[in-house]
Order: sequence, then C-alpha cells, then structure tokens
Amino acid sequence: MIHKLKGLIWNGGLAAMLLTASVSAETVKYRGMFKGSSMKIDGTSTVHDWTVESKLISGNMELEGGFPSDLSLEAVPALSVTPKVNVKVAARSMKSGKPTMDQVMLTAMNADDHPWITYKLTEMTPSKGERKIGDALKYDTKGELTVSGVKKEISMPVNISPTDKGLKVAGKVIIKMSDHGIKAPAPKIALGLITTGDEVSLSFEWFTQKR
Amino acid sequence: MTDQTEKLDLNRRDFLKGGSMAGMMAMMASGATAFKPADVSAQSSKPPIGPPVKFGVIGCGYHGRDIVGTLAVLPNAPVVAICDHYGAFLRRTGRSAPEATKYENYKDLLADENVEAVVVATPSHQHKDIVIDALKAGKHVYCEAPIASSIEDARAIALAAKNTPKQYFQAGLQYRSDPQRHFLVDYVRTGAWGHSIFARAQWHKKTSWKRAAPSNEREREINWRLNNKTSCGIAGEIGIHLLDANNWFLSGRPSAVSGFGSNLLWKDGRDVPDTAQVTLEYPDGVQSYVDITLCNSFDSEYEMYHGTDSALMVRGSQAWMFKEADAPMLGWEVYAKKDTFHKEVGIYLVANATKLTTVTGSGEEAAKASPFTDTPLWYALEAFVHNAYVHQSGVEDFIASFGDTDDEILGEYLAELEGSKKPAAGYQLGYEANVIAVKAHEATMNNKRIELDDSLFDLG
Repeated sequence: MIHKLKGLIWNGGLAAMLLTASVSAETVKYRGMFKGSSMKIDGTSTVHDWTVESKLISGNMELEGGFPSDLSLEAVPALSVTPKVNVKVAARSMKSGKPTMDQVMLTAMNADDHPWITYKLTEMTPSKGERKIGDALKYDTKGELTVSGVKKEISMPVNISPTDKGLKVAGKVIIKMSDHGIKAPAPKIALGLITTGDEVSLSFEWFTQKR
Repeated sequence: MTDQTEKLDLNRRDFLKGGSMAGMMAMMASGATAFKPADVSAQSSKPPIGPPVKFGVIGCGYHGRDIVGTLAVLPNAPVVAICDHYGAFLRRTGRSAPEATKYENYKDLLADENVEAVVVATPSHQHKDIVIDALKAGKHVYCEAPIASSIEDARAIALAAKNTPKQYFQAGLQYRSDPQRHFLVDYVRTGAWGHSIFARAQWHKKTSWKRAAPSNEREREINWRLNNKTSCGIAGEIGIHLLDANNWFLSGRPSAVSGFGSNLLWKDGRDVPDTAQVTLEYPDGVQSYVDITLCNSFDSEYEMYHGTDSALMVRGSQAWMFKEADAPMLGWEVYAKKDTFHKEVGIYLVANATKLTTVTGSGEEAAKASPFTDTPLWYALEAFVHNAYVHQSGVEDFIASFGDTDDEILGEYLAELEGSKKPAAGYQLGYEANVIAVKAHEATMNNKRIELDDSLFDLG
C-alpha cells in the first residue's frame, strides 16, 4: 500500500514537474497588424535623397510566456529562449509616391522573381546600452534579411514596448544594396544620369497583436 | 463624348503661331511647389508603367474605336476582348485589335477570365448595368464620361464603385489626367494670377452630330445623343469636360446652374438643342460660362481662366498667360516666348519640368518642345492602366499579408496607395461632374436656373 502510495506520489510529482515545464515553455504568439506599421528605406542619390515606404509588414512572433513587457523594469532580463520571429514585406508595396521611381526600384530588386523581403530572427539579447526606466525595452538582435533573393545576416538594435493589443517593435539598420546583389539604380532621365548611394537606412515600426 | 484626339490636332494646326519658352522656368519663378521634376521628366520618355493590364472594350462605336486605337499605342495595355451587339462595329474595331476575342453580349466578355479591366464606351444611358456587372465580375472599370445620362444611374454607378473596393474605377473625365492642365492648376494655385474672377469655355463645331445607318431602327439607336430620353444633350455629353475643368480650376462646386438652349440649324427631328449656353455660379460671385454649338466652328474650342492679375488660355495641350498692365512682375516672363493674338500678347506656358532652353522657331516647334503632346484620352488611359495595376497589386499584397478578412482595413490600405497613382477622376468626381452635366442639360432644355443643393452631390 505504502509502495503504491509512494508510486502515486512519485508519479504525481513527475506530472507536476512536467506540467511546470510545459508552463514555462508556453509561448505567446503575436501576428503583424496593418494599423500603425511602417517600414521605410531612406537612400541618397546625386540629385536628392529618397524614401520608399511600405505599410504592409506581416509575419509572426512567438515569445516565451515570461517575456517582459514592463517598462518600469530597471534592467531588461535575459531571455531563456530566443523568440521565433518571421517577418515579410511585399517588395512592390514599397512606395515612393513617384510611379517612375517605384518602377526603377522594383526592377533593381528583381521583384518579379523575388516578391518578398523577409527577415528571420536568430539571436536576441538585452542591450547593454543606456536605458531609462519607462523607455522601451532594448535588445541587440541578429537575423537573416533576405532582399532580392539574397540572404544576409544583419545585426540590429530593436526597441520593444507593450501596446493595447500586443507589442510594438521598432528598429533601424544601415544596409548595403550590394550585399543583396542589388546594383544601385542609375536611371537615365532628362536631367542626366542619376546615381544612387549603395548604403541605405532601413527603419521600421511594427505593431503586433496577440493571436 | 467629344473626340479629344481630333480636338488636339485641330488646335495644333489652327492656333499655334509661334514658339515659346519652356515652362519649368515659369513654375520655378512662380514659386510653385507641387510639381515633381524627376517624375514628370521621366513621364516624357514614357517609361514602363507596370505589368500588362488586359483590356476588354465594351462598345465599339466611334469613340470605342478611338479607345482601342489609343490602347494599341500604350505600353502594357493589350486589348484581349471587344464587344458590340452591332456586327459591323465589332468587325471594324476588330481590325485594330486582331488578337481580341469578339463578343456580341457584354456578359460573355465579363465572363472571360482573361479580361482584367474593361472600358465602357457604350451610349451613356447603357452604362449602368454594364458597369455594375463588370465590378461584380471583378473587373477594373474605366467608364466614359458622362458616366450616365441620369443622376439616378450615375449615383448607382458611383455607389457600386464605392462598394467594391477591390476594383479600381475611373470616370472618363480626361482632363483630370492631362499633365498640361495639372501644371496650370498648380500655377493657378500659387496665386500668381491673382484671384479668380471667372472661367469661360467653348466648344464650337459645325456638325450635325447625326450618324448615318442602314436602317431606321439602327439610325434611331445610333443617334441616341439626339434623343432627350437617352441623352443629356450637348451640355452634358460635350459640356461635362468643360464644366468639370472649370470646377477644377476654380476649386469649387457650383451652387446653381443656368442654361439656355435652342435648335438653330439641325431641324431633323431631334429634341435636344444644337446650341447651348451654361452658366455656373460659385461662392463669392465667381461664375463660369460654357457655350457649345453644332452650328458654327469659329474659334473651335478652348478654356479661359480669368484672374485679377492675368488670364490663362488653354487650347489642347498648349496654354498662354495674358498679364494685366498693373500685375506684379514675376521676373521670368521677360524672357519667355510670346505669341500675339490680335492685339493681345500671350506668354507661352508649357508643362516642361526639365528643358530650361528657350524655344525658338515656329509654333509647331514649340509644340514639339512640350513633353505632353499626347491626347487627353491617352493620358487618361495611361493613368488607368497604371492605377489599375497599383490597385490590383495593392489588393493582392494586402491579402497575401493579412488575409481576405476585412474590407474596411483593406480600404484604408488602398487609400494609402492614392499617392502612388496617377491623377485621374474616381467615382466621386465622376458622379459630381455628372450631376452638374445632367442639371446643365435640364437647364438648357427649359431655359431656366436650377439650384444645386449640396445633397445632390452626396453619395451617402
């Protein structure tokens, strides 16, 4: 009897341990929202600076259950699990407000063959940089950015803050078009040959909601 | 529908007398800011405007043939289907679009999955069912202006377009896509011409407006414009473009329309006027006057916009400014080329954002210096091809990103894309112009003044 009881206690304890483990491994899923989201690419040229912007940032995030969302934290705690983050943006949704420039950009990006700009997070650690209490939580990230079908690892600081529906993720990184096999567009228009700079700034504000 | 191609040819031939200076200098000197040099200059070289949009043209009469011919010279606008229930028209149009599938029933054309967009060029009173069915069938729609011969039909069309956000709708108000007029409107908005006094436009031709046909029945059918039950007369069918241009330049919507109409020459049983005058009343006493006749061709067609400091004359793709003696100096006009019209000196204005060279030589050479020498129909259809593509790709990208679940949010996204489209008249502008045109016709039929209550323009 005692043996059976011990067995029950043992089995119960194991079940409890398993349950605890499953709770800690429980994740919270988020999906991208249209409202408020925006991704911009700012570049330069021999004529003027230019910007293209997309309002369509879709994708998913899967964070550990205890992922911090409290901006009053003094220090951003380390993560036990790297979040799963996959983002995609339709290349042709990048708009400059000038139809001709859009066409030049899409041609340079070979958007017919590679219609999506994608990003996959591979590493995420709390930032060691300065942060005031109340500011967004700061992380240093690494991930794979694929543009024009060419994948490139990028490092990027991101800020994460809670919203009514989920989380807002914002970041900015300098990339080179040539890293993705894109030859900087040099359209011939009436003013002559325009040369665009290889380096561009990619910035985004991505609003997500809990699924 | 007036034949804009013919109009431009006529204007170039008859009215261009001398050269002028490129207009970008004018825009720069006037302080205009809304122009986009890089973009507009690139337009002149006719760059690719997106992947093909495959067209079906419904209505193969005189204007339908013009549309098919214009689409044929546009890049990326293949005509894959044409439709007319009258075999002779269908066959004749088919010569300009030999690859197009021919349909006698428009519903068969709409069922053709190869067709992505349709141009509705049937008589105005037949537009409603075709447009609504086309939108339901998932086609983008370019509907000739007036979009209908009655306010009720125009409202039904506009509401159908409003309620099918996945489809792009464009009303055939061609001037709204014309780069030369956009250039001039920007110039007017700078205030360099003072403030608005009045606008005046005319369309003069000596032509019966009557088509010949092999049978009485066909003759009645093809001459729908001469019948008050099926047409909104010259004030509506022709005048809509001029009335709408006046609204646009004067930045307003009229509060009343007065009209006078008479049948002075073509006494062939028609019950609509062959000559009409229309006056539109705007706030602060500003008015516009449009006169249209089928009885005399003198001075053809043009628009005049009078401000306190200068007047602008627009003839086809050309324009001139006539300054008042006491108007402030703008600076650039000293160097600009000028043309003389009787005792008046017109300063040549041309929408050319990049060619800062002085145009010398004859008026024909000056015309060639303008990058915008295609017809208003060309620009309107070019805008439609581009905009339909932007709209369609926007819908596809949104659904691929977020699913096909929320038309309201999709509508918000499509609104964001407006800045990426080329200028064109949508359903609201098409409807408002139609209201004015129908009421103008009503006024000319009864020689009376009609108040245009705001509720008339409200689509709800």
